[in-house]
Amino acid sequence: MDNSIYLFAAFSITWSIIFVYIFRLFRTQTALNDQINKIKKALQDNIDLDVSDS
Amino acid sequence: MKRTPTLLIPFQLLTYVLMLFALYTIFIYAPVEKTMGVIQKIFYIHVPAAFLAYLAFFITFIASIFYLYRKDSRWDTVAHCAVETGVIFCTIVLITGPIWAKPIWNVWWTWDPRLTTTLILWFTYVAYLMLRRAVKENQRANLAAVFGIIGFLNVPITFFSIRLWRTIHPVVITSRGLNMSGPMKLSLIITFIAFCFLFFSMLISRIRLERSKMHIEELKEIMDDMNF
Repeated sequence: MDNSIYLFAAFSITWSIIFVYIFRLFRTQTALNDQINKIKKALQDNIDLDVSDS
Repeated sequence: MKRTPTLLIPFQLLTYVLMLFALYTIFIYAPVEKTMGVIQKIFYIHVPAAFLAYLAFFITFIASIFYLYRKDSRWDTVAHCAVETGVIFCTIVLITGPIWAKPIWNVWWTWDPRLTTTLILWFTYVAYLMLRRAVKENQRANLAAVFGIIGFLNVPITFFSIRLWRTIHPVVITSRGLNMSGPMKLSLIITFIAFCFLFFSMLISRIRLERSKMHIEELKEIMDDMNF
């Protein structure tokens, strides 16, 4: 029964590392996707402005 | 770029299901080992994590060679992302190993060949990541590729350390196959497959992230050109 605490610690730490890493990837990917959409929108607005000027 | 999310989501869902199944086999199906007791179940994450760390560094090795040969930055991206994923799994090995060792060997750490070479392997690839941050962009990919090729020499040294030197590290894989009972063997295989899916899921997500960063740089360049 004493060794169960070590088993629990090993699995907890392993899954914590994996989940923290995956969560960080997900958060960064979401931020990058937002940035891409913003830049694409700005580019599109620029193009529309150029077209309306000409 | 649009196709990847469509395939990635079912792949990640399958990974999640396999991991749940692996946990079932570890805690319910696999028997408790007679000598070590429940602590032996750490083995079911320790061994797959070790093999996947080796696989990650092998991917880095191959991608680095391809980068130096083709000078295509996509290979550099694969190498970098594989190292990061490999370091995660190597960290898991270095944490679960001592947690197992404490109740069995009565020490957290010993300078056993397998443990020492694994630690050196971890330091090597952490150094790779630090190198990438430290050097200028125009030198980064070349230096990292050379480092990724040379650093891979540690992997066979680590793997064969239990055969090259005297060690107290358990030998599970012998010339006669896996040294364990049938249900344990099956649990290990299922857990290994689940971890493989997890590994590739993490690697693909990491590569996508790098490609998104590169895409942003390209879009910024277009914007700058338009503004001029």
